[in-house]
Amino acid sequence: MDFLAEGFRRALALLLAGDAEVFGIALLTLKVAVVATIVACGIGLPLGYFLATRRFWGRRAALTAVNTALAFPTVVVGLLLYGMLSRRGPLGGLGWLYTWQAIVIGDVLLALPIAAALSAAAVQGVDPRVRRTALTLGAGRWRTAWAVAREARFALAAVITAAFGQVVAEIGAAMIVGGNIRGSTRTLTTAVALYTSQGDFGLALALGFVLIAMALVVNVALQALQGKGGA
Amino acid sequence: MLELRGVRHRYDGRLVLNLDHFGVPTGALLAVVGHNGSGKSTLLRLLALLETPTEGQVLWDGAPVPRRPPPALRRRVTLVEQRPILLRGTVRENLGFGLQVRGIRRTEVNREVETVAERFGLTPLLERRRHELSDGEVQRVAVARALAVRPDVLLLDEPASSADRAAAGALYRALAAERAARPLAICIASHQLEDAYRWADDIRALAEGRLSPVTPENLFRVELPPGAGVLKHARVGTIEIAVTTDRTGAVVLAVPPTDIFVSLGALPSSARNVFAGRVTRVASQRPGLVHVTADVGIELVAAVTAEAVRDLTLAPGAPVVFSFKASAVRVF
Repeated sequence: MDFLAEGFRRALALLLAGDAEVFGIALLTLKVAVVATIVACGIGLPLGYFLATRRFWGRRAALTAVNTALAFPTVVVGLLLYGMLSRRGPLGGLGWLYTWQAIVIGDVLLALPIAAALSAAAVQGVDPRVRRTALTLGAGRWRTAWAVAREARFALAAVITAAFGQVVAEIGAAMIVGGNIRGSTRTLTTAVALYTSQGDFGLALALGFVLIAMALVVNVALQALQGKGGA
Repeated sequence: MLELRGVRHRYDGRLVLNLDHFGVPTGALLAVVGHNGSGKSTLLRLLALLETPTEGQVLWDGAPVPRRPPPALRRRVTLVEQRPILLRGTVRENLGFGLQVRGIRRTEVNREVETVAERFGLTPLLERRRHELSDGEVQRVAVARALAVRPDVLLLDEPASSADRAAAGALYRALAAERAARPLAICIASHQLEDAYRWADDIRALAEGRLSPVTPENLFRVELPPGAGVLKHARVGTIEIAVTTDRTGAVVLAVPPTDIFVSLGALPSSARNVFAGRVTRVASQRPGLVHVTADVGIELVAAVTAEAVRDLTLAPGAPVVFSFKASAVRVF
């Protein structure tokens, strides 16, 4: 257990000293996670609402597909994306392999099913009378969706939290398409994996603490946004 | 104005509504009666353009309504559900919701909200939220919220289900005042026949998703002659119905089908109304219950058991006698 205590001590010292590398990695992680969460939720939440409220042929199959995508192994997504972004791949021309944008795409692909599946479940949990009431009072499509979203705000906030949790803790795809390049595509998770394998347990633990702190701050912010929860 | 034509509506393959034609004319005051599960709520949702019929058409002023009705069309009809729900926010926000989504200016919305709240006695509740209201208050807010947007057609699903008698009376008076002020068609779905008898000009019965050929049972508009006695005779077609009431003038008489005694010949009894005629129709209503319609000068419907139909061999054309007490006749 000594190594653990030693790790904690080093972590604390690094954080208190304001280590530039630690902060650089944390900032990149935050940037990637925020952009990926916004994109994934920007597409996934409306998609979930659509799946939950519209009756169309193949809806059940679409819901099954989205739910299945929840279990996609991150390394498989990373591999597929690597194939797409590599020079000979269909998206090779973008030149995004081993850039932070590649990590964002990987994270979006992984968080999108979470955002869509969980928001569909959240909207399905809303009393159907809410949607009908908004519609019958003359609301258009967006205003109706907003009325439904207001009712499901706690569940939808949980969806955003879950999506953020997925992207901030993701390592498989980030390692493959990001390449874990120091000062460029090294995120908190890939750095933790690297420093652990190098035996630098203190630094790995310090980065782990930053990751947890980041998740905590985001959760607190989302809870504050939900308000007091009055009806 | 608003019509359903050749509508067959299914949920998961199950036929829940089967209507060749159902129209809500401009300014009509219409009641749809039927037991729970008869298709009333589905009918109202189709009329409210909230659902598209599996088969058939919805027409407005003769023109087919598209599968995805434009908001401008949807805004002409408003539905108040059986157990209405208030949206998140205060009563004031709820009353103003429909006006806001129409892009009306805030000051004007506020003025309208104040007016409608006053009309429905909701002014003291304006700042309350839904969990601070009783079921009856929620229903009142929902009706006021629906009227605030001045629809051409107002659809009410069991509007008095959470209200006591006085509150129901107030609600119907408010609706009557609204109709007096402008042309407004109202279609009320109710399982309480009394509500329908009392308030509607036109009553239609729904059973198992179809319009029942038996118009809500034995309903007659009559003139009751003035007189001191409680027992009065009202002329209905070629017969006179004895009724006990102190009312005079224009009233509606209802003879509950379950209060009609069916026999093959006249029996000595206390019944003041005894009419001989012939069976015109025998229709099974619910398992075990049969509606026997007879022409006794007018068409009367009696509800009897399937066993009684068998024992009396009741079939179209068979002679029959319908009897009921004067006190069984309800006066509205």
